[in-house]
This record gives sequence, C-alpha cells and structure tokens, in this order.
Amino acid sequence: MKKLIALCLMAFTTSALADYVFVVPQKPGAGTSQWAAIIAEQLEPFLGEKIHIKHIPGARDIPGFNEFHNSLRVSDKIVMVSHGGNGVSFLQENVDYDYNDYDSIGLMNLNIIAGKAIGADMTHPIFAAGSGMVPEAFAMALLICGNKSTSIDYYIACFGEHVTWVNGMSGGERRLAFKRGELNGTRENPAAYKKHVEPNDKAEIWFHHGILQADGSHADDPNYPGFQLEILFEELWDAPPSGEFYDAYKLVKSFRDGMQKALWVNKGNQNTFALRNALHQMSLDPDAVAAIEAKVGKYEWKIGDEGNAHRDTLMSFITEDALRNLIRFNTEALGLASIFKDHLVIEVEVPTQLEGTDLRG
Amino acid sequence: MIIALLLGTLYGLIIGLIPAAGATTGLVVLFGFMSYFSDPYLGVIFCMAVVAASTTGDTYSGILLGIPGANSAAATMVDGHPLAKQGKATYALTAAITTSTVNGLLWGTLTFALLPWYTKLMMVFGVPEMWAFVMLALACVGFVSNKFWIRSLMAILIGLFLGSIGTNPVTNADRWTFGWEYLGAGIQIMPMVAGLFAFPEILDGWRKQDRTAIAHNTKGQTLDGIKAAWKYRWDSIRGGAIGAFIGFLPGLGGAMGDWMAYGSAVAANPKEEFGKGNIRGVIGSEGANNSQKATSMIPTVLFGIPGASFAAVLMALFMTLGFELGTPDLAYDTRFFDSLTFGFMWATVLVGILCIVFNRYISKISSWPYKYYFPILVVFITWACAQYTGGWEDYAILILCSALGVFCKAYKYSRPALLMAFILAIKVETLTLQLSALYTIDTLMTRPIFIILIITIIAMAALSIRKNKLEYA
Repeated sequence: MKKLIALCLMAFTTSALADYVFVVPQKPGAGTSQWAAIIAEQLEPFLGEKIHIKHIPGARDIPGFNEFHNSLRVSDKIVMVSHGGNGVSFLQENVDYDYNDYDSIGLMNLNIIAGKAIGADMTHPIFAAGSGMVPEAFAMALLICGNKSTSIDYYIACFGEHVTWVNGMSGGERRLAFKRGELNGTRENPAAYKKHVEPNDKAEIWFHHGILQADGSHADDPNYPGFQLEILFEELWDAPPSGEFYDAYKLVKSFRDGMQKALWVNKGNQNTFALRNALHQMSLDPDAVAAIEAKVGKYEWKIGDEGNAHRDTLMSFITEDALRNLIRFNTEALGLASIFKDHLVIEVEVPTQLEGTDLRG
Repeated sequence: MIIALLLGTLYGLIIGLIPAAGATTGLVVLFGFMSYFSDPYLGVIFCMAVVAASTTGDTYSGILLGIPGANSAAATMVDGHPLAKQGKATYALTAAITTSTVNGLLWGTLTFALLPWYTKLMMVFGVPEMWAFVMLALACVGFVSNKFWIRSLMAILIGLFLGSIGTNPVTNADRWTFGWEYLGAGIQIMPMVAGLFAFPEILDGWRKQDRTAIAHNTKGQTLDGIKAAWKYRWDSIRGGAIGAFIGFLPGLGGAMGDWMAYGSAVAANPKEEFGKGNIRGVIGSEGANNSQKATSMIPTVLFGIPGASFAAVLMALFMTLGFELGTPDLAYDTRFFDSLTFGFMWATVLVGILCIVFNRYISKISSWPYKYYFPILVVFITWACAQYTGGWEDYAILILCSALGVFCKAYKYSRPALLMAFILAIKVETLTLQLSALYTIDTLMTRPIFIILIITIIAMAALSIRKNKLEYA
C-alpha cells in the first residue's frame, strides 16, 4: 500500500509517469544535483525520452536514497543518483538502502586530492573534520604514524596526538580557512582541486588516494604522479602500507571515491538495457562528453556490467575486521557516532571473478 | 538584453511580493528554464535582475500585511506594519524602497567596481572575527526582544533549541529529531518564518474579518517617504554598511544583517520608541536589504564560496549556463562581469522606480478586508514552504511552526527574538567549535579586530538589556 501511495505521489509531482525520473538526494543546486542535471540533459537525446529530476533532500543525503530503496525503486522509470557520501554512510550509519539490491547503469570512479600549505609541518596537520573527511583522517594517520605498529589502538593514539581536527566547518568555510592559513591541509575532488587549490601559490599537493582498479588495487593518478598515499608511505617508511588499519582505510576510501557519482536502478528493472545503452552511446559522443567534461571535469565512466563489477569489488573490501576498525577509529579518534552493521559482513559474498585474487592490492 | 532585464525584474518583483518567498525561492524555480537562454550572458542578466527585484519586492508583504516576504524582511515589518495600520503604508513603503534602492546602487557600485580588490580584505577576517560577528548579532537579539523580558528570554531559548535540531556537527548524528528522519536536516527557514509571522497574522485578520488599516488618504505620502529616507540618511547609511559587511562575510548574510541593522537603529536612537511605527526602524533595516545582496556576490564570484543561501543557488544556476564562479578564467571574462553589473544595477533602478510610482495604489490592499485575499495568501505561502521536499513533512512542519507563531503572538513571546536565535543557533555552535580548535586566548589577543568586536559585543549586550522596550511580539 505504501509503495502504491508513493508511486501515486510521484506520478502527481512529476508531469508524466511515462518519463524517466532521476531521484537526487539533495536540494537543487547542490553538487550531485548539478551533476544529475547535466547528465540528464545530455542523456535525453540518446534515451529518446524526457528525464525529470526529483529532489528528495534530507540529513546527510540519506532520506532520498532510503525512499528510493523502500518504495520508489519498484518503478521501472525511476533511477537513483547517488554520490560518494552515500557510500560512506552505507558503511557506518543506519541506512535502509543497499547497493547489492540494484543494478548499475553507470558510475564515475574518481580520486580525491589532498593539498597542503607550502612549508607547513604536516606531522601536525590542521584539517577540517566531518564524515566526508574520514579517508583523509586515515591517510594522514598512516603518513604521520607509519608502521611502528599496525594496530588500530596505536593509530588512534597517534592521530589524537598529532592532528588538529576542526569540527563544524562547511565546505566553503574550509576553503576560505585554508586560503587564510588557518588550516594547513584540505582536500577536493579533481575539478574542485583545480579550482580552489592549484591557483593558490601558497599551496601544493600533499597526497591523493589513487584510482580503484578492477582487480581491487589502487593505481597512481597520471595527473598527480608519485603522490598516491601508498607510494608516499613506502618512501617515508621503507615498506608498503599493510595491516588492519590500512584495510579499514582501503574500505572507506573505496566506498567514497569509487562510487563518487552513480546511477542505479532496481534489480530486474525492464529498462536497464535501454538506460545502459543510452549512457554508452552518450559516452561515445564527443559533443556530449565535451559538454559534461566542461562542467563537471574528466572522470572515468564504468557503464553497465562494468559498474556492477566495480560495486562487487567494493563489497569485497567489507570484512569484519576492516569494518570494526573503521567504526572504532571513527568513534574513538574522530568522535563520529558510527555504528557497526554486522549484516553487511554476513551479506557479502566474494564474487566469482575475484575469487583467488589478492584484494589487498 | 533589455528583455532579459525586464522579465527578470518582473519575475523577481512577483516572487518578492509573495509572503515567505524570496530570492532563494525565486531562483530555485528557475533550474528548468536555464536551457532556454540561447546566450548565457542573458541568463546572467536575468538572474541578477531576479535577485535585485525580489529583494526590493519582499518589503511589501512585511509592511502591508505584517508578513515578511523573506526572513530578511522580517526586521522591516516590526515598525513598518504598525505604520500601515496607522494608514501610512505608502509613506513606509516609499521610505523603505528608496532606502533599499539607494543602498543597492551604492553598494552595488562599490562591489562590482572594486571586485578584485576584496580578495585581500577577505583574508583579514578569520574564524575569530566571524565568531565575534555572530556573537554581536546574538547580542542584538536583545534589541528585538520585547518588554516582557522573561518571555523574551524563553523565546530566545526556544529559538536556539529549534535551530540546533538536526545533525550534531561533531558526531554527525541526528540530534533532537525524536526519531523523525525529516528533521535530520533541521527545520527549514521558510516554514519557520511563515509559521511565526504569516499564519498568525492571517488568522488574526480572518478572525476579526477586518482590514489592516482604516481607509486613508495616500496623497503626499510618496513624497514624505522620500523625504524621510533623506532626513534619516545616517540610519540608512549605517544599515547599508552593516548589511554590506555581513553580506561580504560568507555564510552570515540574510536575516542577520537586517536584524543587526535594525538593532543598531534602535541603539543609536535611545530616546525614541520602536516597534509602534517608527520610520527610522524601517529605514535602518531596509538599508541592509539590497546592500548585502550586492556584497554577497564578492565571495561567491571571487572564490566560488556562496555568501548567502541565494548565492549558493545562483552559483548552481550560473554553472548550468557554463560559468563556474571562483575559477581564474572567469576573472578575464569582462562580458560576464558587465552582465552581472548590468542585471543587478538596472533591475535595482527599475524596480525602485516601479515601486515608488505604484506604491500608493499597491498600498490600498491594506484597506481591503482580509477575506478578499486570504485564500491567495494561504496558497502562495504554502507553495513557498513546500519547496523543500514537497512531501507531507513540509506541510506538517508549517502547521507546527504556525501553532508556535500563534502561541507566541497570543502570549507575547517575542517572535523576532525567537527567529533570530533560531537562525544564529547553528552558526554560534559551529564557529565556537572552530574557534576552540584553532585558537587559544593568547593567539586571540593578537587580533585587534577581534578585540574591538568583543568590546562592542559587551557594550551592545548591556545596552540591549537596558533598552528593551519593544512591545511587538
């Protein structure tokens, strides 16, 4: 009954149920809303049908995705637009949605770049806090604290000793505080990094997280070669990063960056093929690609089954230890109210194509 | 170019006239229409005209109906609406719009002509100065509280509590949401403004089956309004400067500038009575109105960091037109800057002239019995408040906020104080967290602007407690 009412409401609020609806979990104007609008505009001619954007904003962009999961996804015309923050929330918060229940239409796999003030002492970073900054917290703890111990307790203590974690900063406040020198480190996606950090003559690259590969490893970013965390760690500490803390880092960074922007439909959706095909055609069209890249930057697309395989690779990172350590670091070092969701560990099955491979990169 | 300007001005004016809607609402609606601009620079002119016109237009419902057009116009209403009740609506409107237009032009010129110069100035204001400005605004709450000081204190506490509902900035978990997921993102500003101010006034008018003002002669009021704007020019300039400065500081804009400007007008005129129809209260707060819209463009254009909520939406609209604010390339696009300036400045002039010419006719609405326009008002306000999710939750929050507004009005709990505390709550909390993480007492003592602001806060707080005479609730 609830599903029926929700569908009736959707039909009422959008002009025609026959058209496609992109559900965005944000207000108009926010980052993913802008991305969805641009993709919808470019995709429409290849799909041959209108696409409406339905905004369902809410705290930490969770309610919109929950609504898609709980009621909207039964419609073959409804597509969910998600972002990296949804991936992090999936790991550590009470959410209803579950990526295992959907098919990927396509997703953008990207990298996040951290910048620092030139000459700053990065053994004592001053960094804006927030759940979106968790992978950076792990990365800086690895770089600063090294491999004297691989235990989670060691990193929690070391992080508290070295890092000034500044709570309550919005993205805009963070950017200004970094420009003013109140923060000595910051992080951005590649497009925003080019806009906010590269033109700043007092800033330089600190590290990046690398780009997730099909085999589960992370590759160096050709735009910022030599600054991948794993490379810097090895240079500093004479051995590649490993151990339980590093596994938790890989888990959280992959869920945020590996699905930075993604389109999902319910499993068994009748229009999956048409949507994937349209996205594929769009990705081959130079004009469409140029229009998208001009507005949102150049990112790698994973379309159709490739997107599903990418999702499965991410799911394979969820081990009980990695998840527990992520939650412990979040709560004890960062003060976040994260929860351990044991059902995530139980649900995950290693996909056949990944069996026997070393998923730890 | 002219057509884009005219259409933007008219659309902005209509949005401004709708109670509880403002520039942000007006801009959000435009997302589906941006692709119709064949030349993106025309889109820039159109959007800037919407911003300028809606800001001027939202004065009407505040003064005529006692319902703020947007949260920022609520300060104008405190003295503007009593003037309308006395049959001086045209006088109040003309004084407000003249002040708003002059300050818009003055600060618009200073903003757009000297845009690159502000980069260095902005670097001087760090977390301590931002924190001190927010605390200064909080000290100004005393000026908008009423003479029932215990009830005003209660109103402030309720406002702070309601403003802190949502996500805890430290733990990132829901706080005081009572298990209602919708509240995780906090109570939205539009239903709060509409609930506190709009529905109590509408219900009151409906219940009394009355009109706002007795039939009155509007002759001469237009000229008197212009004269008042000149006579009290220092209130206007001071309000404009406060608004401009608040607009310049990212994230602070909106209602804070207007209320601070209103508070400063009260503080600067200790022998006068406010809240019962003092034109200086109208002029003081209206000075801040357009000036802060102009200066909000500084951080938005230079750094791609929105100066206020409307600027965040504007930034996204410009992005759909192909202009990415805050990028170095844009600094060399003179046509873009010309379009920004043209749209804002000419729309300010145009809407100013239109409003002043037609004020005496528009203000006749205050002589009409409520029953003639009550249903239209309800429809428009409800529409504006349901722009967040469009779901039943938006309506439920509007009903709850309206119940709070009716209660506050009936029992003399200061609604302006409650609204201002609500708006400031999260800023006070997050900036205090930032300040305590980044600074110590010793490092704060090396910042002269911060020290001056702290001294001002203490003086303002003391003065606001002593000067607490408003009857408006």
